[in-house]
Amino acid sequence: MKKLITAVVSLGLMVGATSAIADMESDRKAFVGHFKSVLPNVEFADFTNGVYAVDEGSREQFEEILDGIPPYEEALEKGADEFLKFGLNKCASLADPAAARIKHPYFDEASQQVVTLEGAIKKCYNQQTGKKLGSSKGKIARISAWISDQAAGEKINVIVESAGAKAAYAKGKATFYAKRGQFNMSCADCHVYNAGKKARADILSPALGHTTHVPMYRAKWAGLGTLHRRYGGCYKNMRAKPLKSQTETYRNMEFFHQAMSNGLEITDARYRK
Amino acid sequence: MKKVLITVLSVFALTAQADFLGDSHNWNKGSSDPFKSAIAAAETGYKANLAVNMAWRDTGKMIKEAKKLQASGKTAAAVALANKAHTQTVNATAQTPLAAIAGPLF
Repeated sequence: MKKLITAVVSLGLMVGATSAIADMESDRKAFVGHFKSVLPNVEFADFTNGVYAVDEGSREQFEEILDGIPPYEEALEKGADEFLKFGLNKCASLADPAAARIKHPYFDEASQQVVTLEGAIKKCYNQQTGKKLGSSKGKIARISAWISDQAAGEKINVIVESAGAKAAYAKGKATFYAKRGQFNMSCADCHVYNAGKKARADILSPALGHTTHVPMYRAKWAGLGTLHRRYGGCYKNMRAKPLKSQTETYRNMEFFHQAMSNGLEITDARYRK
Repeated sequence: MKKVLITVLSVFALTAQADFLGDSHNWNKGSSDPFKSAIAAAETGYKANLAVNMAWRDTGKMIKEAKKLQASGKTAAAVALANKAHTQTVNATAQTPLAAIAGPLF
């Protein structure tokens, strides 16, 4: 009996461990393959446009908005000013804004933590001004959006190599696929398995490409917000208690989420409904 | 090993049983202060859910509301709401082990 239990438990742990330390590249290929099968008419590069790549009517509205002066234009100009005003160009991690956007998120071996772009901005802001910066909207979203704009056209390239990075990636992956809250739903339930379908009046955006246009401007917010702000909103929608932006759980999830969009171009078309 | 197995099975059985109990179930049978034990159960469960980032959105609000109801003398309603909050924490606890090993279906 003892041996049987030990064998079953060991097998369970082995299966769990194997799936957790899955290879990122094979995960990404399967992820992209899934979207190719459920949304066969969407070109890979067009996934940067999210729901606008799926629905023609919404696409027209989106293009009209971008043809004019996008509602976030002023915020971006402010973000550019703030980047210099607060001396963020003096931090090595942000001195080259385009490179900073491409580099983040990355796994920092020294701290054994995922470092996000917003995390680097917060750290630098604190070093330069001695003050704390918020994590979800306002100043940080403006600065981060401006930094991201400098990398528009460059491709996302998250690297997951070390054991620590793989562990963080696996945790992020589990968070993304975990069912939570009163609705017992995961991020993937909407944005992977049902991407392109309607949830009430809204079309669910594909998770592939989500991170190419962050921070995003949402008409619902009437302003810019970070990816973690959006995570919080999704948690609330699932009737789960949202976590604070930049917590380890969200950073790990961003690491996974962004890695799934490797090869897609970063875009400055950051308007979303 | 036997002890560990018995403990694990007992926790599982209690959780599964709790899952099937309706909101109207009286969790405090036999307690001299039904609200006190109901709210304690809800708070303990909620704390455990928060610790693993698996708490539900409204549980905290329900606990606060239950306390307000109790303070205004509406004990029956307060106990019912505290029990409801506790049920939420039991369900959130049931989600927790699966969340750690979740992965894609394709």
